[in-house]
Amino acid sequence: MMRDVIAAPRPGLDFRRHYGHHQSPAIRAGGLIFCSGMLPIDPDTGERRHGTLTEEAHCIFGNLKLLLESAGSSLDRLVQVHALIYDSIEYDVLNRVYRQYVANGPPARTVWTAQSEAGFKIQLDVVAAA
Amino acid sequence: MSLSRTVVAPLSGLDAAAALGQPASTLVRGGPFLFVSGLAAVDPATGRLMRGTIMGETRMILTNLRQLLEAAGSSMDKVVKVNVLMASMLEAVPMNDVYVRFFPDPPPARTVCGARLPDGCRVMIECTALA
Repeated sequence: MMRDVIAAPRPGLDFRRHYGHHQSPAIRAGGLIFCSGMLPIDPDTGERRHGTLTEEAHCIFGNLKLLLESAGSSLDRLVQVHALIYDSIEYDVLNRVYRQYVANGPPARTVWTAQSEAGFKIQLDVVAAA
Repeated sequence: MSLSRTVVAPLSGLDAAAALGQPASTLVRGGPFLFVSGLAAVDPATGRLMRGTIMGETRMILTNLRQLLEAAGSSMDKVVKVNVLMASMLEAVPMNDVYVRFFPDPPPARTVCGARLPDGCRVMIECTALA
């Protein structure tokens, strides 16, 4: 079985080029798509888009939609999500924005607190059906 | 449809899950995938945790990972996703500098985050590979 590399759908989403991270945006293998940690990066310029957790989450879901759709999948095909947030006090804030993007049968999800690079408030680690 | 699940016995000295005293298998094959437990920097010569710099621990872990995967019939270029957990995100750059030398081009998908780790580890690395 092969693994297919999913290229960055927009120039800003090539984190390797902008930040030197040794990672592909996503890999398709075994009928699944494994995405690298999704961060609030401007999809055109590659600049970091720091904001409130809600603002960062909107940016991340926009990037995730671009990435999954370029790979022939979509937000409706998410299987599992790990939501890494900087402080559990924002759990309800996360849920309010998250709900807008997973209207049709939400994926499995685990939320925990962790540090993300550059002090971002949220990072999404996801697996989708191809 | 039912897929197989097989616990793969790791090479001696490389049983990272056992070194941490965890009720976990280091390698489990499920369907087309090989799931690898979070690896700490275990020195295969002693079977114990090595204390080192972030670069030393990362190098030890990825050297062990390569051996584990190859012994299980997989390899570094079949890895699809890596999760790197770090005690401090301030060390992400030196971790990445070592990481680059172990994975092919194009590399697997990856998530890096800071977390509290057991036993004073600076870094733990888990991954999913094609079997």
